[in-house]
Amino acid sequence: MSHSIADLVRSRRVLVCCGAGGVGKTTLAASLALSAARLGLRVLAITVDPSKRLAEALGVSAHQMEPVALSAVRLAAVGVKPPGALSAWMLDPQLVCDQVVRAVTKDPESQERLRRNRLYQNVSTLVAGMHEYTAVEALHGFVRDDRYDLVVLDTPPSRDAIRFLDTPSRANAFLDPRIFSFFLPDKGSVFHRAGTAVINKILDLGVGKESRVELQDFLSLFQVILAHLSRNQEEMQKFFASEQVAFLLVTSPAQAAVDEAEHFEARTRELGVRIGGYVLNQSLASSAQLPFPEKAVPPDAGSVTRSAVAKLQTLAQLENHSVQRDATLALTLREHFNGQVPLWVMPRFTREQTALDALTRLSDLLLLVPFGSTP
Amino acid sequence: MSFQQRINLITGKGGVGRTIVSVAAARSLAQAQRRVLLVETGQPEEGFSPLAKYFGRRTLSDQPVSVLPGIDACQLWANTGHELFARTVIPAGPLVSAAMRSKPLQRFMRAAPSFYELGILYHFLHLLQLQDKKLQPLYDAVVVDMPATGHTLALATLPDAALRVVPRGPVATAMRRGQSFIYDPLQTAAWVVTVPEPLPVSEAIELVDGLKRTNVPLGGVILNRFLDDPFTDDERAAAHQLLLAAPMRGRFAFERIVMAGESERRLVEATHLPLIKLREVTAQSGDACEGLAAQLTALSSKAALA
Repeated sequence: MSHSIADLVRSRRVLVCCGAGGVGKTTLAASLALSAARLGLRVLAITVDPSKRLAEALGVSAHQMEPVALSAVRLAAVGVKPPGALSAWMLDPQLVCDQVVRAVTKDPESQERLRRNRLYQNVSTLVAGMHEYTAVEALHGFVRDDRYDLVVLDTPPSRDAIRFLDTPSRANAFLDPRIFSFFLPDKGSVFHRAGTAVINKILDLGVGKESRVELQDFLSLFQVILAHLSRNQEEMQKFFASEQVAFLLVTSPAQAAVDEAEHFEARTRELGVRIGGYVLNQSLASSAQLPFPEKAVPPDAGSVTRSAVAKLQTLAQLENHSVQRDATLALTLREHFNGQVPLWVMPRFTREQTALDALTRLSDLLLLVPFGSTP
Repeated sequence: MSFQQRINLITGKGGVGRTIVSVAAARSLAQAQRRVLLVETGQPEEGFSPLAKYFGRRTLSDQPVSVLPGIDACQLWANTGHELFARTVIPAGPLVSAAMRSKPLQRFMRAAPSFYELGILYHFLHLLQLQDKKLQPLYDAVVVDMPATGHTLALATLPDAALRVVPRGPVATAMRRGQSFIYDPLQTAAWVVTVPEPLPVSEAIELVDGLKRTNVPLGGVILNRFLDDPFTDDERAAAHQLLLAAPMRGRFAFERIVMAGESERRLVEATHLPLIKLREVTAQSGDACEGLAAQLTALSSKAALA
């Protein structure tokens, strides 16, 4: 079991960061990628929904086909020396779909018909889970790319921290060709055709014949794409279960961190994938070592400073509840994992000037913090 | 100022307290003697309900149940919407009901583009039109805890989007009825919930801009976990200097107060919408949801007096 970030990043090809919204998962994934680059690895960070600041810091934007490499100057500024390198790429589901269309439909007329189809034009918003399927599809390509030693994947935002883990199996249910054979005309047994006729009738009544035909057209063309995605999702499911991949759970003290960890353990066990570790992010526990404002007043303080200190003291006492809570939570989690699984407790930061500074500070801590300790 | 409309769509990114604000809004409306329906989207087999835990339950179904005096709650299920829809357009017959219940069709309905959202919306329209014995609307206030991320926009703009793809037929008719409810500023208001930190505020501004490009009427922004600033300008500057000189306890609380002020200014400037500030209710001061509901009630009675 890897007990440091260095062991973890050196022993895997892919790290997948899971976590619910609002826990700082995207930033943590990026700083994990930066940490690996500082250790001399050539790293690709795949980000899904970065903040504007983070996207700018990494130099990525939507509609880019290829990852963007951070320049040597910027890398040197954040402590990355060759052979270490960091590239970043932002997931664009429609773009990934278009790529698949070009790769698998040979005939240009079908390509054109699909591109003109109104349903296809909105496929990434209309088909639930398209973010997840295309993330897995893109990953499938990147792990074969020998420019990268390690790929760090930030997962699409969801209220359920581990939704992404179910992607390949959910995809397979969705991509089940039986659904489509039942629906598409002139396929299957007499019984099937009778069923198809009824479904056509229902849809004609509901949406009109014109829309029903367009829907069928979309599905018959899109079937080829789905078959391709499906094949790769199955392959990726096996890959996800291999030793080359580890999943990390990022939580914050505001979430029900212990419950979430248990849920994560259960799901990863069921799916046969490996846990790389847990990150308890944005913890105030380390503040316990700092003095209260009252103790830190300069002796020559004027009246304004004294009243400011009095008010700060009140704030510090209020904050103390959170500090105690976070310290207890870190302890509870450590006991829960009992040295079996790495746990990194990351402190909450005060505001940073730039997103890259924030990444660097987080990375400093990730690299220094030994397993299971509170910085 | 708050929740005058019948339909309140509570939106916002994950982690900003959208669900607790939705529950607090429902409680405040029920205190004002409104008959409240509180809904969220869900899936029958998932059994996952963020709303349920606020009422000591594990799950909610597609049928409204009383969860508190004056509040009924349920989930919006796509399947239920599909069934309700099919029943209105299709003459009943054994073959049809068998087809509707068939696994392939159900799976298809879930997977096919926008069928999921269509079902959710149809179920919602059905609930809006429920009537009591006197033929009055069963619910005169409806609060929707909207799904996080991109689905908020997808659902709110669905009637328009669906009509572009399906211009004719009963679905189109239902969507036109949906438009008449959801895009009417007298009936509907969308609220964007956020917290006073730079990133969530940026995301809220983006969401407001996105909603402004649609026909969904905007009610305003709800700034949750707001903190009052006890410092005078001089004291704040002095506190800032002290914290720069040496880290000490209370620095995060101080920073949060400064961010709260900045967040308020940014939101007002960027959105030009009414802003509801909900003060943070800490665990030590009792039931957080009740505290938020009390604040909302105080705000609306202040508005009624003014």
